[in-house]
Amino acid sequence: MSQSFGTAQAVDFRFSGKGGEYFRIWIVNLALTILTLGIYSAWAKVRRLQYFYRNTSLAGSSFDYHGDPVAILKGRILAVVLLVLYNVAGSANPALGMAVFAMLMLAFPWLAQRSLRFKLHNSSYRGLRFGFDGMVGGAYKVFLLWPAIGYLTLGLLMPVAHQRVKSYQHGSSRYGAGRFGFLAREGGFFGIYFKMLGMLILLGIIAAVLAGGAMSTSALLNLGAAAQEQQQALAGLVVFAMLAFYLAAFLVLGPWFSARIQNLVWNGTTLGEHAFHSRVRARELFVIYLTNFIGIVLTLGLFKPFADVRLARYRLEHMGLNAQGHLDEFMAGRQRGVSATGEEAAEIFDFDISF
Amino acid sequence: MATLSADYYDGKRARPHSVRLSLSPAGDALAVEGEGVDRIEPLARVWVSEPMGDAPRLVKFSDGAHCEVRDHAALAVLLEAGGHRDSWVVRLQSRWGWALAAAVIAVAAVASGYRWGLPAVSEWIAFKLPDKALAQMGESTLAFLDDRMLSPSTLPEARQQSLRDAFDGLDVPNGLGADHQIVFRNSRAIGANAFALPDGTIIVTDQMVSLAGHDEEIVAVLAHELGHLGRRHSLRMLIQGSIVGFVAAWYLGDVSNVVAGLPALLLQARYSRDHEREADEYAAALLKANGISPSRLADMLEKMEQSHAAEKSGKEGGASDPFGGYLDSHPATRERIQALEED
Repeated sequence: MSQSFGTAQAVDFRFSGKGGEYFRIWIVNLALTILTLGIYSAWAKVRRLQYFYRNTSLAGSSFDYHGDPVAILKGRILAVVLLVLYNVAGSANPALGMAVFAMLMLAFPWLAQRSLRFKLHNSSYRGLRFGFDGMVGGAYKVFLLWPAIGYLTLGLLMPVAHQRVKSYQHGSSRYGAGRFGFLAREGGFFGIYFKMLGMLILLGIIAAVLAGGAMSTSALLNLGAAAQEQQQALAGLVVFAMLAFYLAAFLVLGPWFSARIQNLVWNGTTLGEHAFHSRVRARELFVIYLTNFIGIVLTLGLFKPFADVRLARYRLEHMGLNAQGHLDEFMAGRQRGVSATGEEAAEIFDFDISF
Repeated sequence: MATLSADYYDGKRARPHSVRLSLSPAGDALAVEGEGVDRIEPLARVWVSEPMGDAPRLVKFSDGAHCEVRDHAALAVLLEAGGHRDSWVVRLQSRWGWALAAAVIAVAAVASGYRWGLPAVSEWIAFKLPDKALAQMGESTLAFLDDRMLSPSTLPEARQQSLRDAFDGLDVPNGLGADHQIVFRNSRAIGANAFALPDGTIIVTDQMVSLAGHDEEIVAVLAHELGHLGRRHSLRMLIQGSIVGFVAAWYLGDVSNVVAGLPALLLQARYSRDHEREADEYAAALLKANGISPSRLADMLEKMEQSHAAEKSGKEGGASDPFGGYLDSHPATRERIQALEED
């Protein structure tokens, strides 16, 4: 049942995962990881990714994950050893600790590049592996040099740094022998960052006005009250306004930013002559984030697998490929072994780059 | 023998081939037949992926070719006939009963980690931290408080010194000592209170001094704070809060990092109960060794509670009382007073 497409046909990603199913995998993963003091976590990771990859399909075929649990376990052990060494060195001699920390920072881009290679090399679709050809030098530019420039310019050039990272990730990827391309320019990133900044300022003004209004109201009500109480009321309102500001900023602007970036990045990504499209809506993503958060808090965390499935379904099913002609024409690329060390070491140092 | 349809990929091109899968007559090999494909593989060299809900199962061959099978029922029949057995993990994952058992294990592990592991780890870290770090933490906290909630004390220097002398003149039994310096501050916002910072600074408010009916009451409160210091309670709370916050942020990562900090704040309060009891016991021991009745601390607690309750009832609603929470984290004050009076 080979599928063929006309000149340009949009095919959407499909996700068939279900919360209840994934819950059982997740909870067994968790229990076995606890019982084996963490050793099972490598197998848990492979099963988790396999569940998500195999339940994701495009044009009638699904994805697959091939990561080797033993390789992942080795990477994790190495990462834990590094972490322990860092702590021992740090407590024995702060200067030595700083040196180790600086070395880890310097190794960061290298780890990130290894991580991307491992992740893509172990992903496949229709029997062909993905791949990553980004060079280590490029990783140093986008993961060290550009963020540094972003900070030095007080965030002004952060959008460029973001664009460079995505360009490095997407532009150096392969599917079989077919190359991905990345067309999104800096302008799109600047637009999103400036709108985000504008909304943050607006939110800040609203919070300040609300706090000010409430303050003067309470001052009117407490006309005869002691100065002490007014002072307390003021401090309380300021704390409350700040809290409301943070909540609003991160619950509303977080999904907005995430949706816009996903759309920008994927609408600018190509594979050969095929182009991706992404139509994630900030409002819908916000509802999912909010209900997921409420669910997780109310169930003391047990809702997490359901939340993961809901988010993955929404994000994936609003993405697709504008296929130009046949998807069948892709050929396998060159294969080479890739160790898991980079990815796991990168992950434990809290450096996850999602593709 | 039953056959089933599948998509075959050769591992070299992305083209799917429509094929039929069947077991060989001898039952020890898998036959794949369809457009441009005709192969028979011994079962020993065929690998079948685990069942994962509606996801297709993959039948893989050693040369990198594979079949995507979506007809789960027919595949199950074929696998059964071929003698395939799922791994034990798959059997665990497919039953709700096992999932429930796993949930019990996970919840028990997380709960005991929170109840016992977290305090133990925090205590270990608290006593490992170098004095330099503590001094820095204490200084920056005091500077922060001075900036926002505290103003210089209005007590005469002589009065401050006499209270310090009264406390430092105590005979400290072996093992009960701890480095400390007492500072006085005026704060209407906080009211009558005293608290210890990680570097050994004990802050006493003017309101506390004027609330006390007897200097021994102030000495009793200072003894209580010294108890917190000796056990590094404030530092341990800080570390516990940081760990909970870190874990919550990691767990809720997708939701939001700041929102993730909120549960951490809510979860913190319950620890102080044990800490208060420890500090009370410490204070009682120190006071008794100096011929002061521990009921002095009980009296002071009572007065503080009344004073804060009076402040609270003087206002409408709790939202305008940002610091009321401090006493809320001293829940069983009654209980503590009783324990001290029995001492």
